[in-house]
Amino acid sequence: MSIFTTRPWTRWAVPTAAVALVAAGSVAVSSTATADPTLPPMTPAELLVAVQQARPAGLSGTVVQTSDLGLPSLTLPGMSSGRGSAELSGTITGTHTWRVWLSGPSKARLALLGQGGESDIVRDGKDIWVWSSSSKEATHYLVPETMKHPTSLGDLGALPGKTGMPSATGAPAASVARGAAGAPGATPLPTTPQEAADKLLAMVDPSTEVTVPGTTTVAGRAAYQLVLTPRAKESLVASVRLAVDAETKVPLRVQVMSTRIATPAFEVGFTAVDFGVPDAQTFAFTPPAGTTVTEGKTPMTGDQPADKGANSMVPGELPGKATPPGSGIASAKPKFVGTGWATVVIVKGEPMTGSSPDGESSGQGKAPDSMTSMLQQLPTTSGAWGTGRVLEGTIFTAVLADDGRVAIGAVPADRLYAALAAGS
Amino acid sequence: MSVAEGLDQAAVAPSAAASGTATGLASGPAYRPKPFSTRLFRSEMTLIGGRRRNQMGLLVLAAMPIIMAIATKLTASDHRRGGDLMSSMTTNGLFVPLAAFMVEMTMFLPLAIAMLSGDSIAGEANLGTLRYLLTVPVSRTRLLAVKFASLCAGAFWGVLTVAIPGAIIGIALFGFGPMPTLSGSTLSAGEAVGRLVLVCLYLTAGLSALAAVGLFISTLTEQPIGASVAVMIVTIVSWILVGVPQLSWLHPWLLVDHWMAFQEFLRDPIAWDAPLAGLRLFALYAVVFWTLAWARFSGKDVTS
Repeated sequence: MSIFTTRPWTRWAVPTAAVALVAAGSVAVSSTATADPTLPPMTPAELLVAVQQARPAGLSGTVVQTSDLGLPSLTLPGMSSGRGSAELSGTITGTHTWRVWLSGPSKARLALLGQGGESDIVRDGKDIWVWSSSSKEATHYLVPETMKHPTSLGDLGALPGKTGMPSATGAPAASVARGAAGAPGATPLPTTPQEAADKLLAMVDPSTEVTVPGTTTVAGRAAYQLVLTPRAKESLVASVRLAVDAETKVPLRVQVMSTRIATPAFEVGFTAVDFGVPDAQTFAFTPPAGTTVTEGKTPMTGDQPADKGANSMVPGELPGKATPPGSGIASAKPKFVGTGWATVVIVKGEPMTGSSPDGESSGQGKAPDSMTSMLQQLPTTSGAWGTGRVLEGTIFTAVLADDGRVAIGAVPADRLYAALAAGS
Repeated sequence: MSVAEGLDQAAVAPSAAASGTATGLASGPAYRPKPFSTRLFRSEMTLIGGRRRNQMGLLVLAAMPIIMAIATKLTASDHRRGGDLMSSMTTNGLFVPLAAFMVEMTMFLPLAIAMLSGDSIAGEANLGTLRYLLTVPVSRTRLLAVKFASLCAGAFWGVLTVAIPGAIIGIALFGFGPMPTLSGSTLSAGEAVGRLVLVCLYLTAGLSALAAVGLFISTLTEQPIGASVAVMIVTIVSWILVGVPQLSWLHPWLLVDHWMAFQEFLRDPIAWDAPLAGLRLFALYAVVFWTLAWARFSGKDVTS
């Protein structure tokens, strides 16, 4: 007290100290977060084996997903603002926060938190509920027999749309395998996890370099970094980085780095995680009074309609390949040009008439209209292959030709033009 | 509140010593000041509650949920419009105060806090009552603590003035019962009331942090209007900044960005991350701006 009365100006030191303390505290937190932990070294194969054997009894946590795919997001109503939308269809762009609960192999719940809204996907045994608070709609699905016992944690409780994945090595690796080999289901089933990991690594090796260059910290937990680097020089994907928890070997974060931007083009990872088993009550879903309840078709094939939202949130799913903006045109058989990461997919659809061919109307009634208006804002382009519109994203490019062909690939636009010209 | 009371008790020792010498002349057994007295606080609350402008302000606060509930009742056919909370009003009466908070936290409740906090020191200085207040045997530190405590109580008062009439009119028009959450689960009536109480407490904390800013501004001037306008400017500029996505790094440090986190209490289970981050920032604002006010006020020459 005395110093404050004899030297009144010293009083200002108190609020200054309070601010300095907080500033120092936040700096200290961020600097300890960037310090990489020291862990016993592991090879990629060992890490893959550990990941597929990871069986946490349960977990709960917060997952933040950030997408910077280079889509013209501002033209889509309700999809633009940072954390505005709680619609599952709005998760292609921007930053979104999910709450995740898992308990055993058959109970899972994902909640997409929006500003004053929420969408939930709840799986309890054979029941799957999809809930949207803004439209007050609940859709009920029954889990088909074949996916009652998911083998991999990478499936995140086997959500709708993630069912046909034959590999047990986690979603990211499986995506790579699919991209590299085209049809991984054709290979004979491996018998041990070690064999599976070796087979997978051998399979992706021509196209992808798989390394464990170091460690990192995710959600305050020490984690290994598994990095997949495409060998194809023309690929827009610089690398895919998977952070695996050192203790439980659960994947904690997936980042897809682009050659065009310094920050991740797509990132989904835990900001907080707890490996305790959540309360069983968490997974019980009863539609509240006043809810529109619909009985959904079993999403066996995983392409319609629940796929729409589910695809972009599963860690490791390459979002550019999963939900291209023209996903409504999915009827024709796709044609593949090139190999590995430079693969170009060409789909023959109906010629563009202005109206979206998207026939289903499950809740997101506005989607076709806004999709059409978005497509019309894309720059036009032309070449030996014809004319059309081009969408240049950060990790993928899409060309929508006026004759109805759609070419998509994780490559620059000129590769797509070449593929289209060669195909016609 | 508890923070302010703690400060209050800490401040009591020097003022008690001062009052002991001042009243020691009284005959009979030596005067022993009470270790903790709420008298100054009570007098402050009487002043706040007795002012006609504050009473009118409370009427405006209470009118909003009533207007919203009646308007929703009359146009129940298009209840899908206007966001989740608004559209939920027809399902449970308790959504009326929650929807009213959505509307009033943007303008009316911060305005009420701006009026109260701008008045707290500058108003006394303007009326010429500040010097008389300082002649009572109460240290300036304690006076400031009591002022802040009364502002916190005023914030709670304002929040309840929205919540209670809103709940009454809501239950009268739309009924009361199990409440659906944003997560699609249903809360029992008792739990629903508990969530509303949590929301009220959270918003009180948020408004109290703004009151600390106002208290500091109020020590800088002798014009209460100037202080009130400055607090409103702080609020409105904050809202504008929150709307600029390029400044997203700044948003976690703005009070208003955390106010709307009260909706996290409507999830099941409660998503505590955002409200806890909010409470941390509110506490930081309260400490920094109260100590700023203290640094300014306890060394200030009171000339009016």
